[in-house]
Amino acid sequence: MKRVPVVVGIGMTRFAADRPDCNPRDLLTDAVLALLADAQLQDLKAVQHGLCSYESDHFNKQMTLAAILHDQIGLTPVPNVRIEGGGATGALALRTAWAYVQSGLCDSILVYGCETNGRGVSSQTANQLFALSADFDWEMMIGGTYTGFYAAMMRAHMQRYGTTAEQFAHVAVRNRRNARFNPLAQKPMELTIADVLASRPVAEPYRLLDCSLLSDGAAVMLLATEEWARAHSAKFTARPAVYFSATGCGTDTMRLGDRYPELTNFRAKRAAAQQAYQMAGITDPLHQIDVAELYDSYSGVEIQAVEDLGFVPAGQGGASVASGMFDLDGELPVNTDGGLLGRGAPVGATGIAQAAEIALQLWGEADPRRQVAGARRGLTDTHAGIATLSVVNIFERRD
Amino acid sequence: MPDVKSKKDILQIEAGEDSLWADFGQVERLTLSLTQTYTHTLGRYSRFFIELENQRFMATRCGRCQRVYAPPRPLCPDCLCPTYWVELAGTGTVQTFSVQHFSPGSNADVAALKTPYVFAYVLLDGASTLFPHLLIADPAQVTVGMRVRVHYVQQPVEHPIHLIHFIPVE
Repeated sequence: MKRVPVVVGIGMTRFAADRPDCNPRDLLTDAVLALLADAQLQDLKAVQHGLCSYESDHFNKQMTLAAILHDQIGLTPVPNVRIEGGGATGALALRTAWAYVQSGLCDSILVYGCETNGRGVSSQTANQLFALSADFDWEMMIGGTYTGFYAAMMRAHMQRYGTTAEQFAHVAVRNRRNARFNPLAQKPMELTIADVLASRPVAEPYRLLDCSLLSDGAAVMLLATEEWARAHSAKFTARPAVYFSATGCGTDTMRLGDRYPELTNFRAKRAAAQQAYQMAGITDPLHQIDVAELYDSYSGVEIQAVEDLGFVPAGQGGASVASGMFDLDGELPVNTDGGLLGRGAPVGATGIAQAAEIALQLWGEADPRRQVAGARRGLTDTHAGIATLSVVNIFERRD
Repeated sequence: MPDVKSKKDILQIEAGEDSLWADFGQVERLTLSLTQTYTHTLGRYSRFFIELENQRFMATRCGRCQRVYAPPRPLCPDCLCPTYWVELAGTGTVQTFSVQHFSPGSNADVAALKTPYVFAYVLLDGASTLFPHLLIADPAQVTVGMRVRVHYVQQPVEHPIHLIHFIPVE
């Protein structure tokens, strides 16, 4: 256990559709200042490594953003590395940091994520830029979009298992309701299932309120060996130790059509979960995990996720979600901070924000209205594309 | 008088309770247009697109595992050996689809699409994988399991993938 990383501290900005007051370096500044306050650190001078998490040179209008951000927060001359893994960038960044600490390459590493996916571009430009992450000649050039690919998967799920629009609307309602208890969330809303079903169709079967948000924002997490944390952060010894205990990663074909005959679920997510569970000694995830952040890029994706993460058998995601099993007062609360649907998703910061919520929950420091009582083990599920790359990270409180 | 040619606005951001950035509340925003033009190669799957002009629908087959790739893959990812070209009839069955109510305007062909349009995954007869393309049909009439065929268009297009789309088999 000696080198299993601990969470020393977290920092986040409010996620928003538009932050005209901030460019990426301003956003990161605010997240880092929040981290210093959280971990009760004066500065970052003892931090041995930087790890920059951002996805898109296009959205940020900047290549080498890692160099700029590293410089901005005064981390020079310590080493730096930039990680990109599509939608899973933030989670892959944390997984990479896990390996850097475990290997002995460094004893402390600041994982800093930032993205400006908000209204800096029109929604049409945003769609074009995101479509660039589809297969250019075979998907993007015919007008394919990720909303469309996800929608086609959900239709296959409905066709095979009888999953309904009402069932995935439950996710859209619940996650935005959870966001009401998170002051950093982009879009807290009080909705009904009827509101979701009455919103305009975007890519059927998905409607506007089934779709997650485009956001500006930043999130950071400081990871270290326990020894480093004790030596440098008084706050670390003052609150329960949270370990980043396990990580898994899986991949799948770029195009959905190449996965035929499987069209309903995410093979990469099953592989990532299996690895992480094995590493953490988990055999019954529904009962051995207390809180989870799931990648709800679209409402139905959460239904697919609870199946692929092994919380419920394949085909039972819809009914279990609609039963309230994953609500704040359910058996396994998920997306307590609002998820991508309610909290928002500045890509490079998303996976880090998910992990930050799990850390808050395990410390017992989340807003009481969303705190899961006695949470000791939490999971983050993050993916890129249509789970072309999937990362599962597990955090545990030990005291 | 000095001026900024791009469209510009200046906002005053309220510092609120947190006065940390009170000295930095004035924000200037510009509208910038960045355009790029590329010479784009279709590489080793070029023949697929060239044959569309001859109204032939090509796929590739792996000589080792016999899988037939549509869209074509010059390299079989399972066997890591080069494939060879085979012609398919161009008929198939819809496996799943979405009805898209907006066009991302990815190119001139896509920008010209009438919404809503059907984005379908079709198992072509003789293929092992699904081919994604537009299915030009009344969205309300499209079902999983529906028989469709490749339709060759006559008008000029920007990207050669638009030389075809699917239509229902009458």
